Amino acid sequence: MSNYWPWWAGALALAFVTINFTLTTDRSFGVSSAWDRVLHWRRERNLDRQQEEVVDERVLVHALATATAQQFGTPGVAPESPTAEVQPSTQAVRQSTPRRSPLVTQAALLLSIFIGGLIAAVTAGRFELRLDMGAAFSQIVTDNPTAMIGTLFVGGVLVGFGTRLAGGCSSGHGLHGCGRLYPVSLVATAVFFGTAVVVSLLLWKVI
Amino acid sequence: MRTQGAILFSTIIAGLALGITVTNIGFGDYAELNRMFTFQDLRMLLAFGGAVVIIAITFAVLGVRRTPGRIHAGVVPGAVLFGTGWAISGGCPAIPIIQVASGYLPAIVTIVGVAVGILLCSWANSRYFNLDRGSCEM
Repeated sequence: MSNYWPWWAGALALAFVTINFTLTTDRSFGVSSAWDRVLHWRRERNLDRQQEEVVDERVLVHALATATAQQFGTPGVAPESPTAEVQPSTQAVRQSTPRRSPLVTQAALLLSIFIGGLIAAVTAGRFELRLDMGAAFSQIVTDNPTAMIGTLFVGGVLVGFGTRLAGGCSSGHGLHGCGRLYPVSLVATAVFFGTAVVVSLLLWKVI
Repeated sequence: MRTQGAILFSTIIAGLALGITVTNIGFGDYAELNRMFTFQDLRMLLAFGGAVVIIAITFAVLGVRRTPGRIHAGVVPGAVLFGTGWAISGGCPAIPIIQVASGYLPAIVTIVGVAVGILLCSWANSRYFNLDRGSCEM
């Protein structure tokens, strides 16, 4: 138990991760939105395609205009160059969605969290393949394997549904949003933490 | 100018650091988590709260601009569901990942649950709630 980091080391590290990410990428830090984007990969892919199509369309229009101009000898009609036309349009698309980073980045976040967790568990000598969730879970929640699977699944669904409905989780609302003093994040964090306290007390004392 | 490659690199660094940090604080350990939520042990709570204070002070000093977040209709019910799910399964969207990485294989079920919940939310939202989730990107 005592081989976990002391509170101040944890606070410094969590703060460093969030601040560094925000300053280097200029994006909001959030794990639940990364999940959301990866799971909706089809929608994401379509959005990417739409961006490309906008560009393609401009190029096509320009090519047609040039061809027409050449055929009828009216050079003034064609736009100057394709790059001059295309460049502003891609810029405009990017500006309209400033927080969109590619899908692969979101997937990389989830994967690197896993690798980071693996490094930490192995170096701390805490890695152990097991089919339970630890003694405390068996004691406080359930020690029946079937009930455990059911509880984890239902809990997971509540977490997935709840975080997307609330627009963030413990990293997006809790660390990033509260750190920036967003009112919505302060409310969300107070509510999810408060609820977790009530449910945990019920589990611990009553059930 | 931030290139996509630089953002990918920063994201990977952030993910690795988050995975290492969260694992070493003990967020993947249900015993530690339950002791935090029942106030038997304030260590993890102080780590989280301390991080928020450091982030808030740093952003205030650096003058990182604040954009007003809108408290839409989904925030409170969503947070209630999330808090309940976290307390009973021991997982937020990042935690089951590091639980599996520590060898807790049943946490794979939690991850599947999270995925189902997220897909269910966007389906239910487009069909019934029609909430402008506003802070989708958080």
